[in-house]
Amino acid sequence: MSVLQKLDEYRYLIPKSFREGMKIEGLIYASSELIDAIEHDLTLTQVANVATLTGLVGRSLAMPDAHQGYGFAIGGVAAADMAKGIVSAGGVGFDINCGVRLLRSDLRLNEVRPKIDSVLNQMFRDIPCGTGKKGVVGALSYEELDRVLELGAHWAVEKGYGIDADLRHMEETGRMPNADPGKVSRRAKERGKDQLGTLGSGNHFAEVQYVSEIFDSEVAGAFGLFAEQIVVLIHTGSRGLGHQVCTDYLEIMQEGMRKYGIQVVDRQLACVPIQSPEGQSYLKAMASAANFAFANRQMITHWTREAFATVLGNGDLPVVYDVCHNIAKEETHRVSGSSRKLLVHRKGATRAFPKHRPEIPADYMEVGQPVLIPGSMGTCSYVLVGTERAMEETFGSSCHGAGRAKSRHAAKKEITAEKLIEDLKHKGIHVRGASKSGLTEENPDAYKDVSLVVEVVHNAGIARKVAKLVPIGVIKG
Amino acid sequence: MEEGYRILEHPADVGIEAFGNTLKDAFEYAALGLTSIIVEPASVDPSEQRFVSLKGTDPENLLVRWLSEIIYLYDGEDFLLSDVNISRLAHGELEATLAGEKMNESKHKLKMDVKAITYHQLMVEEEPEGVLLRVFLDI
Repeated sequence: MSVLQKLDEYRYLIPKSFREGMKIEGLIYASSELIDAIEHDLTLTQVANVATLTGLVGRSLAMPDAHQGYGFAIGGVAAADMAKGIVSAGGVGFDINCGVRLLRSDLRLNEVRPKIDSVLNQMFRDIPCGTGKKGVVGALSYEELDRVLELGAHWAVEKGYGIDADLRHMEETGRMPNADPGKVSRRAKERGKDQLGTLGSGNHFAEVQYVSEIFDSEVAGAFGLFAEQIVVLIHTGSRGLGHQVCTDYLEIMQEGMRKYGIQVVDRQLACVPIQSPEGQSYLKAMASAANFAFANRQMITHWTREAFATVLGNGDLPVVYDVCHNIAKEETHRVSGSSRKLLVHRKGATRAFPKHRPEIPADYMEVGQPVLIPGSMGTCSYVLVGTERAMEETFGSSCHGAGRAKSRHAAKKEITAEKLIEDLKHKGIHVRGASKSGLTEENPDAYKDVSLVVEVVHNAGIARKVAKLVPIGVIKG
Repeated sequence: MEEGYRILEHPADVGIEAFGNTLKDAFEYAALGLTSIIVEPASVDPSEQRFVSLKGTDPENLLVRWLSEIIYLYDGEDFLLSDVNISRLAHGELEATLAGEKMNESKHKLKMDVKAITYHQLMVEEEPEGVLLRVFLDI
C-alpha cells in the first residue's frame, strides 16, 4: 500500500513517518495518471530526503513533472529561512538558471508556415548549437566575462544584442544584483568564456511556434498574445560555466559541512548555512552563473530576430518573459500568518507570482507573472499565469515542463532520426538538429505528456492556463 | 566479473560502472567509460600528454574529483582523452598521465556533452576479487 496520503485529487502528502529525520512533510502535486510514474522512481525518497535538511519551512514540494534527480528531485521546491536555514548547490542543480524565454511577433501562422524551412535554416546557421560548439563571438577576455557575470542580459543589450525594453520582461530584469565574479573559479570561467551565445545540447532548443488556443483572453491580451500568432520559445542555460560553479561548490559545501557539523542523508544534498561565508560565496557565484544564462538567452534572441528579419522581413520580436528553472532566490513569503524572508530553491520549477507582487513587470502588474512551460520536442508548450494560491502553498512556484519518463538510451532505441524527422514533418513540424542521436534522445515519447502536467497545476490552482503553443519548427542542439 | 566498464541507463541521466582488479584499474576504466560517452574513442589519437595530480577526502570523493577533472579538460581546455595511466593512487591522492589530443570538430566524433559528475548513488566497493565503481553523470 502506498505510504502517500491523498489529500485531494491533486495533492499527495508524504508524512514525516516516511523516513527518519524528516523535519517537515513532503507534498506532491499530481493526478492519478502522473502519481504512478512519480512513485515508480526515487522521487518520493528524494522529496523526503530534502525534508531532513535544516531550517526549511512549510513543506518539501514536488511539482507534477517531478522525476528522480540527484539529491533533490527534478521538479522540487524547498524554502529555507534566511537567518537559520541552509543553501544547497544541489538544490539549484548543475545547469544554473536553465530557463525559458518567449518572444512574440505580429506575424500569423499562414504568413510563416510556407517559409518555415528558410527561417529554420537561417536560425540554425546563426545560433551555435550542439555538442562542443563554440560561440561565434569567440573567447571573451576574463575582464569582459566578469562584466557578463555582473550584468547579465544588460551586458548583452549594452553590446547591441537587443533593446532596453527586453530587460523589463525578465525575472530580475535579466540581472541578479548580488553577483560577484570573484566567487566564480578560473575553471568555471575557462569553460564559459567561449560558450556565451550557444544553445548547447541535450533538451535545449529554440522553437518557432504558433498560439493554437487561448484559455484566458484578458491575460493573453496583457501578455500580447493572440490566436494564430507566431512566437519563439528559447530553452537554454548557463552552459559549462554554471555546471562548473555547481561542481566547485559541491566540494566547498562538503568541506563546510565538516566545519559546521552538518550531516546529510545523500551527499548530493551537501549544504551550508545561508549566512556562512561559504553560503554567501555560493549565492554570489550562483547569481553570476544565472547572469551568464540571461546574457546567453539574450544573444540567442538577437540572432533569432536577425533570422526573422532576413527571411520574413520582420524581426520585431518583443520578449514576453524570461523565467529561471534552476535557481535559489531570496523572497518574502507569508508563512503561518507572518512575513518571512526565505531562500526558495527551485530545482526544475518555475516562479509563478500573482498580480501585485513587486517583482513582476509594471505592465503585468494587474494580471500576474507569465509562467512558461515548454513541452517535449514537437508536442506543445503552455503559457500560464501565477496565482495567489501558489503564494499560499508553493512559495509562488509551479511546474517547469513535461519531465522525462524514459532514459535517453530507451528513447533512442525506439526510433531512428530519419523516422522521427519524417513523423514530425507529417505533423507540420520541421526540425534541424546538430546530431541524429541528440534528436532521437529527445523523442517526445520519452517524456510525460506536458498537457497532463499543466492540467494538474491549473486544477490545483498553483498557476492558471493562458495559452497553448504548438511548434512548426525546431532547432535542437 | 570481467575488467572494464559499462554504461548504465536511468531516465534522467547516464551512469558508468567500472570493474578492475585494483582501485587504480577501476579508476582508469571509469575515465575511459566517461570518455566513451563524450566522444567516439577510436577517433582520438594519443598525440599530447597531460599530467594530473588530485586529492580527495575519501575514495568516493576522489572518484568524483578525478572524473570532474576529465570533464573540465574537455569542456574548459578542449582536451579529449584516448588513454590514461594512473601512476599513484593511495591515501586519498591520485597522480595520472593522460594521453589524448585537442578537440577538432572535423576529426572527432563528439557524442554528448556531460555537464557534471554527481554523488547520486555513488559507490566504490573494494572486495577481495576486485574493485567495483558506480557513478552517475548529469548530461
